[in-house]
Amino acid sequence: MTIFSEIYGVYYRIASRAMSRESLSDGDVYELIRELGFRDSALFLPRKLLPQKDSTDWGLLRRNADGSLSRITENAPPAVLTLLQKRWLKAKLSDARFRLFVDDETLDRLENRLADIKPMYRPEHFRYFDRFTDGDNYADPVYRANFRVVLEAIKACELLKISYVSGHGERVCFTCLPMRLEYSEKNDKLRLFNRKYRNGRLLNGSVINLGRITGIVRTGCFFTDSADAAGKKRGTVTVYVAPERNAVERFLMEFASYEKRVERDLVSGGCTAVLHYDKPDETELLIRLLSFGAAVEILKPEGFRAQAAERVAAQAKLTRGEI
Amino acid sequence: MSGYNELIKNFEKTRDYVRDFFIYGFKVRGDFVRKSARTYDDEKRRVESWFGDLLRYDDSIRGRQISISVDSEHIPENPLYQAFYSKSFTDNDIRLHFLIQDVLFDGRALPLKDIVDEIDSRYGIFFDEQTVRNKLKEYVSEGIIIAEKRGKTAYFSLSADRADVFLEEFNGLDDAVKFFSQTGEFGVVGNSILKAAGVENDLFFMKHNYIVHTLEDAVLPEIVDAIERKRFVSLRTFSARSGGAKASENFIVPMRVSASVQTGRRYIVGYIPAYNRFNSFRLDCIRAVKQGDICAEYDDIRAKYRKNEGRCFGVSFGERRETGNVEPLVVTIRVGKGEEHIIDRLEREKRCGTVQKLSDELYELTIDAFDPVEPMHWIKTFIGRIVKLEGGNAAARKLFDDDIRRMNEMYNGKGGETSDDIQ
Repeated sequence: MTIFSEIYGVYYRIASRAMSRESLSDGDVYELIRELGFRDSALFLPRKLLPQKDSTDWGLLRRNADGSLSRITENAPPAVLTLLQKRWLKAKLSDARFRLFVDDETLDRLENRLADIKPMYRPEHFRYFDRFTDGDNYADPVYRANFRVVLEAIKACELLKISYVSGHGERVCFTCLPMRLEYSEKNDKLRLFNRKYRNGRLLNGSVINLGRITGIVRTGCFFTDSADAAGKKRGTVTVYVAPERNAVERFLMEFASYEKRVERDLVSGGCTAVLHYDKPDETELLIRLLSFGAAVEILKPEGFRAQAAERVAAQAKLTRGEI
Repeated sequence: MSGYNELIKNFEKTRDYVRDFFIYGFKVRGDFVRKSARTYDDEKRRVESWFGDLLRYDDSIRGRQISISVDSEHIPENPLYQAFYSKSFTDNDIRLHFLIQDVLFDGRALPLKDIVDEIDSRYGIFFDEQTVRNKLKEYVSEGIIIAEKRGKTAYFSLSADRADVFLEEFNGLDDAVKFFSQTGEFGVVGNSILKAAGVENDLFFMKHNYIVHTLEDAVLPEIVDAIERKRFVSLRTFSARSGGAKASENFIVPMRVSASVQTGRRYIVGYIPAYNRFNSFRLDCIRAVKQGDICAEYDDIRAKYRKNEGRCFGVSFGERRETGNVEPLVVTIRVGKGEEHIIDRLEREKRCGTVQKLSDELYELTIDAFDPVEPMHWIKTFIGRIVKLEGGNAAARKLFDDDIRRMNEMYNGKGGETSDDIQ
């Protein structure tokens, strides 16, 4: 029982989708392969899915007199939930965040349905030792209710009136179109991407912590025009990583979640990396880069480097006992 | 490229290539020395086929380097899951997959012989009994087929649980699966449920998400299962620094998966009977896992582990010669007016440390950990505020002082410009 099995594979999925239709054309098969397959699947799959004169195909589709194709089976293939998938679902029932999505009655029904299933893992099998401890309180009924309102509003494109306490303790009230939710593994918090709405217009995007919402009201007004989630401003920083204390590997691992371009320095054995980041997260990135000590040097932009220089200078003074 | 197939039999080899493309990004053809150039070409083509537009090509003086470059925060689905959906199979495997399910679709339970006969009569395809029996046995273990004994004969029926029906029947479950398919443990399994039901995640995006962890999902279930069954495991590992060249076998009693959400590393922490101590092994450096016998002393070892875990800042149990002789690390941090967020940081990030207020501007952080070097990476995030560093170990303190001196020269020149305030 492993996820690396053909029963979950792309080829089975494409065959299943083709066999779900009562009738389809060769073009439909090619379209399904293009939509669901890997880039090279079109080189391999058509000759297996489409009936071949020498019968080297899988024999799952038959050619009709009018040239169309239909499945050889009586029924569309069922998407049977495997034991592995049920064990994964069962494990998730113990996760505090699961209760954000389902109410007590639904959870009871799910627990009954999966009563005989052994969970794939238990929460105590995992320890996230550097996760921040001030994460959202998923057990709070108000938080859960707010989460559900936000989620429904995102799906329905409904404007919401939100009361909110900012990070500086200010109370703010605004109307917005909720766009999407973002979860941080490190912070253990959910944040809402939204676009403020004023005088019949969508304004710039903003991001708020779900845990800071103090009041939320559905407006019954739905935004029918398409709207993009306004992205956060992006920045780039170029750093040099020296080949000392295994820094190159540690750096590349730690910043694996960033979009980046890396080039090895043949002479030194270190590397130069250009990281793309969200501007609001600049301070977080700065302190993470500084945590590598002298093994990482921020090269540019100048303003970013200057921030590092300022902190380092202050630290040098402290270390020398001058402050 | 003759003989090239975009599907693979063995995940382990491909996992190394995907990891190298994703993590390192600067490797060129000549750097992949573990296998032949032909193997590299095939693996590269597969990765290109699976990940398409996410690949980036940069020409350097060393050659063309290929990388998978994505910002995990801006994608609704982990693209590395594709690697799991590429397992090869035989023509008979896929035929039987659909034909057996169709024969049993109406809910009947049939014996093997009847299933073989119906496949033959309905679709004109004959399979011998042994082939069908093997597939049925495999699908019983996968939970797709249910077997029951009636007298001496085994009857087989199709499981009634459907991915699409489940997601509709339980209100909110579809959103939960979308969420958990992108975060937490074994998200790829949740993603497979969404794929089966024809649903896509369009709601949740993940920040600080190490999508490369999914490549460890191939070995992790066996480890977790061994923890649950209180069994020994044998780990075949390699050294990351040697580029995979140095391999070793490790016989351990697995305790817990210990994961960092900040450095991208995950470990299995276990007890090594041969050395009578706890140690951790990086999951991305484990090639294979084999379960052994039940460990009779498992509960006792776990009790000791849980006691010791409280003195691990991360996953290190320190140097043996130092254990018991290490002084707590004490760091004095300066917090200016209006910088209460620094106090919040200390509180939420201190792990096994304690924080004490010394004055309006000074806070003392005490970390009594087995390995006083381990907290240093985090402590350096407070550069510009560290008034005093005491205790711990002398080498770590010296390294810190050297680092600051070198950084000051690096950023502020010899002698170093100085600044009084940082914001």
